Amino acid sequence: MSTHTYKKFESSESGDLPDKMTIYQSCMSEFNESQINAKKCRLLIARLLRLLANGETFPETEATALFFSISKLFQHPNDSLRQAVYLAIKELSGISEDVLMATSSIMKDVQNGSDLVKPDAIRSLTAVLDESTAFSAERLLKSALVNKHPSISSAALCTSYHLLPIAETTVKRFANETQEAVVDLKPFPHKNIVGDYYPNSTFITQYHALGLLYQLKKNDKMALLKMIRQFSDNNMLKNQLAKVELVKLVNEVTTKDPQLFIDFQPLLNDWLSNKFESVQLETAKLITNFATRNSRLISSELFAAAITTLQSLLTVPRTSPKFAALRILNRISMVSPEKIVVCNPELESLINDSNRNISTYAITTLLKTGTAKNISSLISTITKFIHDVSDDFKIIIIDAIRSLSLNFPNEWKSIVNFLIDVLKNGEGGFKFKNNVVEALIDIVSFVPQAKETALENLCDFIEDCEFNEILVRILHLLGKEGPSTSTPSLYVRHIYNRVVLENSIIRSAAVISLSKFALSKNDSTLTESIISLLKRIANDQDDEVRDRATISLKFIDSARKSNNQEAQVFIESKYSYDLSALESKLATYISSDKDSFSTPFDVKAIRRFTEDEAKAMELRRKQDQFLKGNLENGRESTPGFTEESAIADSNENSNFSGPSLDDHEQDLLSTKYVDELMSIDQIKKFGSLVNSSKAVALTDPEAEFIVRGVKHLFKENVVFQFNITNTLTDTALDNVTLTCTPENPDESQLEELFTIPIVRLLPSEEGACYVAFSKSEEIVMENFLNTLTFTTRELNQETNEPFEGDEGFQDEYDIDSIFLNAGDYIKSSFVGDFSSTFDELPNEEVAVYNVKENISLQEIVDRLIVNTSCLPLESTQYASSDSNSHTLKLFGKSALKGSKIAVIVQLIKTSKGIAMKAQGRAEDVTLCADLVNGLM
Amino acid sequence: MGNFFSSMFDRLWGVNKELRILILGLDGAGKTTILYRLQIGEVVTTKPTIGFNVETLSYKNLKLNVWDLGGQTSIRPYWRCYYTDTAAVIFVVDSTDKDRMATASKELHVMLQEEELQDAALLVFANKQDQPGALSATEVSKELNLVELKDRSWSIVASSAIRGEGITEGLDWLIDVIKEEQLAA
Repeated sequence: MSTHTYKKFESSESGDLPDKMTIYQSCMSEFNESQINAKKCRLLIARLLRLLANGETFPETEATALFFSISKLFQHPNDSLRQAVYLAIKELSGISEDVLMATSSIMKDVQNGSDLVKPDAIRSLTAVLDESTAFSAERLLKSALVNKHPSISSAALCTSYHLLPIAETTVKRFANETQEAVVDLKPFPHKNIVGDYYPNSTFITQYHALGLLYQLKKNDKMALLKMIRQFSDNNMLKNQLAKVELVKLVNEVTTKDPQLFIDFQPLLNDWLSNKFESVQLETAKLITNFATRNSRLISSELFAAAITTLQSLLTVPRTSPKFAALRILNRISMVSPEKIVVCNPELESLINDSNRNISTYAITTLLKTGTAKNISSLISTITKFIHDVSDDFKIIIIDAIRSLSLNFPNEWKSIVNFLIDVLKNGEGGFKFKNNVVEALIDIVSFVPQAKETALENLCDFIEDCEFNEILVRILHLLGKEGPSTSTPSLYVRHIYNRVVLENSIIRSAAVISLSKFALSKNDSTLTESIISLLKRIANDQDDEVRDRATISLKFIDSARKSNNQEAQVFIESKYSYDLSALESKLATYISSDKDSFSTPFDVKAIRRFTEDEAKAMELRRKQDQFLKGNLENGRESTPGFTEESAIADSNENSNFSGPSLDDHEQDLLSTKYVDELMSIDQIKKFGSLVNSSKAVALTDPEAEFIVRGVKHLFKENVVFQFNITNTLTDTALDNVTLTCTPENPDESQLEELFTIPIVRLLPSEEGACYVAFSKSEEIVMENFLNTLTFTTRELNQETNEPFEGDEGFQDEYDIDSIFLNAGDYIKSSFVGDFSSTFDELPNEEVAVYNVKENISLQEIVDRLIVNTSCLPLESTQYASSDSNSHTLKLFGKSALKGSKIAVIVQLIKTSKGIAMKAQGRAEDVTLCADLVNGLM
Repeated sequence: MGNFFSSMFDRLWGVNKELRILILGLDGAGKTTILYRLQIGEVVTTKPTIGFNVETLSYKNLKLNVWDLGGQTSIRPYWRCYYTDTAAVIFVVDSTDKDRMATASKELHVMLQEEELQDAALLVFANKQDQPGALSATEVSKELNLVELKDRSWSIVASSAIRGEGITEGLDWLIDVIKEEQLAA
């Protein structure tokens, strides 16, 4: 074997890794030599590091042995060898527990080493120190922090930053030195060596120091404000990252307290024209993010300035600022596209940018700024270029088009044509095609006008489709939507073609789909033909297909002859189950003991949704997804900061994004509440639950006892559920009850039945207390004043039981009122064509309000959606912050009777407040009047 | 040329080889102070050694590689990782710390059991003689049960690292013993 082949890994070009054991052996023998060959050892460590970097790892004993042999290299004074040793220690610190043995040696280098190894030694301290040893390094680190050499100071700052979670008390004492390090501009020593070509210093220490200083002071608002004030003065920060960090600091402060923003406006305005593009970008991001949350607190000039900055960044030749600016614009376009229309010329010129990321973003942004007028021209632009891009980008574009179709249902023609075109002619994989089909399914479900065109084209598509999953989805859709179209027979032909030509999976899906046409009302002649088709299929060679055909025939037969409702339901299901509830119920059913199998599973206990309700939920989820994506992007903007701020962020955002943000979680939660409720015998007697409201907060989130109220409505009863969280750390609450007094006791139509108290609420536990009332079958509305009463008992820390003989003392705590209003009698529902439905409803009621509070249109829209529990339609849940008027369209159904109700609310904002005109139409006169008159 | 001859000369004397010497002992005995007394001849302020210090020094034409290992309970188990190739062990005892003589004695005897240290010479410093109440070298020797040691060259020297007393005497003895043994080998 020649050495050449044997040591192939030594060539830098080969991707071969050195053999693990060979390296281990040579490390052990070489490092333990009494005469160390520095060059050889450095090479060996390099190979070892390469192994580790490639994910190889050593068992603990070997890692330990390696570490000790490496620690012996400390006897050699060679600087470059020492640097390699630090790297190895850093890597091994993850595997071997013994790295603390290197502590003294490293600290000695920090103290006496050359300037070359000092920074590296300091950085490697992070890997070896723990809480107690960090204390002994305190003086060392402090003097390194204020060292004049920028690399040494930076290293000490970074090490302190990473030590903070490990040894908080020690690092907390570094505040003064850190402060000094921000202010101190540190050029490199030996200027003559660096030469004129290179900058004297990047002043990166400022960035590191600022990062550490923030970590040290992040809980002290005044200190943060002082930091911003101090460091924004006269160009004190030379480093661009440090400046960006300062912008983020402003973001942090204003997110926590939006009222402070006004003071920062001049500063932000300056930063928008900073010489660093990254500072401009970060500032623009801050301003636009802030504007989406608190549009009232920001001057329109500043926002316009931010947009102008972004606009000018779109034309710079460098790719990354261009891309970043585009991303910010794209995010704005999701909530208020009208604000960035000014950038359209620049965006249009970017469509043909050679960087595909940029062109795709430009397109999707443009699509969102699209108005009813320019959609078709935009789509024709895209048609020209969509075939040239990769699948990933196609999917992004399709998603944008999809949301467009939900926002502009009237433009369906060009959208459907576009989708059909890419579906049929476009090359692309499964994911892409599936996306297109999903977009079409959305259109079919939510844009009734487009239904038939879309369905017909999908029929054409399945004639030549290679993906089973997509075929099955389309067949299901045809079965669901086809029977109600004007010419059902057309679809029958297409579906049957599949039965003849395709494999068994598709055949079985087609059978079910066919059977749904048998009961079609639009074409009674079909029934016989479907039956004969199914009979023919009943001879299929595949079991599943045969079975499905036979059972379908049976159902059709019994549905026709005896008008059997049940059979009809099986063929055309009118409702779907709450799948997550069904799953959890089934899981408990299976896991319980054998006896329970004697009683069959009760499917009735699970919430069912009619088709309209299911659609309402789906539409809402889609709109949320859209928004959530947007919010998550927003959150990325503060990666340097703690999770706390991210949480604060999301709380802020949930205010603005409307009440439906955590809809899915809410659903899960309400299912849980209902389960708990129904396990109480006294409440079980009330019969089945008609409606449950969402949980509303009745206290500040920072209160000692956090209370959230849920209203449960039964036919002749109301139950208020109060979820109480005890945030005290060492006190238990005994016998917690709520006293609900009606606001006008004389006129009260509700009679209190009973209260179920919480026996003991331990610290940081949540418990539910119920108050039940009886009521008439009619709609009853009332306000209740609530008081929490309880006995506090101090806990013995050790036993977690109250001290013996401690009687505790009675206490009271007032919480916000709970309102039982018309909205509680309504479930949100979806309707495809709002205006015609509105016109068809018989009873009308109009009410006019004048809201004096100083709130934005968006806030009032959010409040209306919560109060009415209706579904906002036609994207009217977003009020544009530019215009002074807005029209909100709401639709729902009565929870008691299922009658429809539609409301149009017109809002006009004036200097005196917000004028509001609500126009409601419903099948039920009283519900309509109650809802419209009780909006606020 | 001169270099060539001197290296030839060194090889004859077996001097080019670096000698590994370990300084061990309980925490606070004065190991680090002794190490730097040897290297720079001054008293340095020290902190408890977490891990080890290593210095190379020339002494009477010999190159010594002196390892000062931390004496804290948590670090003592790691001593054995540094036993290989050791020519001599310097064991430092705080002569004023009567309470822990037994511990020191135990650590010493356990260490000497080690296979890798069979050929190593042992020098014990009865340190801190400058302090009032310090035990004399003889007393320390008794406490440590040094007489029990068989097949090993050992010696005990009363020392004060702070004042610089006894250190060179001890080291001279050690170097003589090592040279003798190398000649014998």
